Amino acid sequence: MKQVFDLDAMVAELEPVKPLRLSQAISSVLAIAIAAAALVVLVKGARADVIAFDPNPMFLLRAGLLLLLGGGCGWAALSMASPSVGKQGQSWKMAIAAAALLPLAAMIVALTGRAEIATSNAYFGLQCMAFSGLSGLATAIPMVLWLRRGAPTSPERAGWLTGVAAGGLGAFTYGLHCPFNDVVYIGLWYSLAVGLCAVLGRLMVPRLIRW
Amino acid sequence: MIANEEGLRRLMRLSLTGDKQAYAVLLEQTAKWLARYFRQKIAADTVDDLVQDTLISLHRKRASYDPTRPFLPWLAAIARYRWIDRLRQTYRHEAQMLEDYDKAEDSHEEVVGARISIDRLLDLIPTAQADVIRYVKIEGHSIDEACAHTGQSESLVKVNIHRGLKKLSALVESE
Repeated sequence: MKQVFDLDAMVAELEPVKPLRLSQAISSVLAIAIAAAALVVLVKGARADVIAFDPNPMFLLRAGLLLLLGGGCGWAALSMASPSVGKQGQSWKMAIAAAALLPLAAMIVALTGRAEIATSNAYFGLQCMAFSGLSGLATAIPMVLWLRRGAPTSPERAGWLTGVAAGGLGAFTYGLHCPFNDVVYIGLWYSLAVGLCAVLGRLMVPRLIRW
Repeated sequence: MIANEEGLRRLMRLSLTGDKQAYAVLLEQTAKWLARYFRQKIAADTVDDLVQDTLISLHRKRASYDPTRPFLPWLAAIARYRWIDRLRQTYRHEAQMLEDYDKAEDSHEEVVGARISIDRLLDLIPTAQADVIRYVKIEGHSIDEACAHTGQSESLVKVNIHRGLKKLSALVESE
């Protein structure tokens, strides 16, 4: 509802406010991501190599790229709560470019005819998407609440970034359980999970944060 | 005068602590700044409404100001957001030529810095889109007049306005 303009009333109702601190938002998102990871491990169990402290290199690569993606885009999305001309960062583009290496590598490998693991395990792939999406949804909630408190000037971009960040963090948490190390499987199903979250973010978040 | 970056920033910092006297001065000075900022960027009869909308946004979203950063770029981001929002509204006012304004006030651009101006924002989108936005949405001409003026077809004018506003929205914080 449009607020009626009354300058004197605005002055009269002035209360002290604490400026938004990015660190608060990051802490909330991290707390939710850790809780989601703990829930995944509790419900589904952790990977055997993680439990044995002998992680597969592909697991490390996947986890690192997903954290980079979730962290970079999450940072960019949360920063949008405090606008300023000239402030717009571009680091999220680097994070997306780095994470894009996974589907790119998957595509190249698939073209050589080694896509059997990914296609014959569609059931697990769908499970991966569902759990990643649920974890992502949980991490998206504090991001959206934060953006609602702030003044994001590009709700559409904020929606994309929130979705990608949530998808990246959600996929990272589920990755603690996911036993697959096949690059095509990871490139296909994880990319679908992140992509789905990104589209949902673009469709849903702008209408929640518009001011 | 007080209406410069340093003065406004100090007032805003005090306002965040609940200083009503500082806030009253801040709103008064900001209103004047915004009136100059929006001049010739929207129909003259809607400048006051836009200034008021922006002040309300400033009031509601004041917690989003980071006191460690300059004030005017923050205000300009909010002002640009509200300006684009206003342009998007499907209004069509009677063609109203923009009033001549006092040349002495051109110095405002120097004070503000061209990098946060609305002209700078319009420079960031393709010329064909900026032209029709200026002609139709800012100067208040009809689509038909824009077609005759620019040589673009009716559908192209509409598409350029739509796409231009979308691009502007994504570029609010660009300089």
